[in-house]
Amino acid sequence: MEDEIHPLLHPAASPSGASFTALLGLPPSRAVELLHEPTFPSDPALVDRAARFSVFAAASSAPSPEVSPPPPPELAKKRKDAGSGNGKAKIKKGKPAEEDTDGENKLPYVHVRARRGQATDSHSLAERARREKINARMKLLQELVPGCSKISGTALVLDEIINHVQYLQRQVEYLSMRLAAVNPRIDFSGLDNFITSTTTECGRLTIGNTKVGTELDPQQQQAAWSEVGVSDANQMNNSATSSKRTQSQLPQNQLQQFWHVDLLNAQNHLQPSIWAQDDVAGSTVPLLVFDRVNPGFGIFVLSLCPKLSSGFPIGTIVLVPLLEFLSHCGRC
Amino acid sequence: MENLLSNASPHSETLIEERGKRIKLAAEVGLARSSGGRLWARALRRRLHRQRKLPQQTCIAKNSTPPLMKEVPLVADVTEEKEEVQDRMRALQRLVPGGEEMEVERLFEETADYIEALQEQVGVMRALACLLDGIESTDGDKL
Repeated sequence: MEDEIHPLLHPAASPSGASFTALLGLPPSRAVELLHEPTFPSDPALVDRAARFSVFAAASSAPSPEVSPPPPPELAKKRKDAGSGNGKAKIKKGKPAEEDTDGENKLPYVHVRARRGQATDSHSLAERARREKINARMKLLQELVPGCSKISGTALVLDEIINHVQYLQRQVEYLSMRLAAVNPRIDFSGLDNFITSTTTECGRLTIGNTKVGTELDPQQQQAAWSEVGVSDANQMNNSATSSKRTQSQLPQNQLQQFWHVDLLNAQNHLQPSIWAQDDVAGSTVPLLVFDRVNPGFGIFVLSLCPKLSSGFPIGTIVLVPLLEFLSHCGRC
Repeated sequence: MENLLSNASPHSETLIEERGKRIKLAAEVGLARSSGGRLWARALRRRLHRQRKLPQQTCIAKNSTPPLMKEVPLVADVTEEKEEVQDRMRALQRLVPGGEEMEVERLFEETADYIEALQEQVGVMRALACLLDGIESTDGDKL
């Protein structure tokens, strides 16, 4: 650790405005470690140096007039602005790095350093740790949202994030409508032709019941699928319980084992009672589920319930991502 | 919008809209179930549960919990900048299910996970739509 803080002794290092870790002069991995340390580093020298170079000047009640910008206001996650705005308030001036670390307010009117002895105050240590944590999270969010890393300024970054969330929510809405508009008369019997044409586009979407990487040949697939086949009306419930058949076939994963397969086509075999179930208040069979814990054999269950008064079929599709789409997935 | 209207008058939604709603519900249930441990997922499930019980009162139930104030910054002075940031934080709180009771750190964490889950969800639905469109177009004659 001592090696890492040596750069701090030399204020020549000019940190970029954006990165707190750069300010500290620590490699990012080390900074992350710091963030996760349950206790703050016990080395008071390090702490104090960190404080010194910290982006967040503890707000002192009486900023010295010689500090040209006022100590930047503290806001929990205001990292970017503080990073750039603080540049001036930054410690570049000459005071040697050695300082007293007795935890008191010891530096009388050191104008450049905006903080006053709060560095080793346990209270502000916790504060700082918290702020660093928040910054790290914000950074993560930025990486998640496309195009967000280039933006600087907390408010703008947040804007982007908000826009992205709204966009995604709108997409769900839009795609629901789009799926609803699909003609319910889906005959799955003749899917062989269709596979080749669409799997390229719909690469994500496949049907199967094995783990990723193992490919079933068509016969296997067909056999597996036809076992699932058509479940009876009683199984069409919206609980998470899977039918016994499914459990024997699917790899046991903690989360989402439930699926019903009820592929009907225009020649409807099943009783109309299925429709009634569909209608039960709230207990829609529909589930669009995916297993994020084990994406390898996650299960997507979508039941389109295009219930129409004339008794059009329900389609329930079981999907496992990244596996081959089964052609013989319905009884006709 | 339709929810608001439906409170006032009997809803006369088209079939597709109704179906779309159910599919969206399915999608949200799926979303919530896929990330069981998360705060947002739990909040979402609670909301969906409420929706099921009282379908007419959906829009009321959703907003019944008064939004908690976002944490006040430590320093008293509120510049315009911070005001902006605060606004956005509040907006984000509203977007993420259950966000209103989270403080900053947790909110960010949950938002990140929520975004990931949404992205997966959208991917699946998109692929599915594409798939079904493909089925439709190729099998249109057979039916």
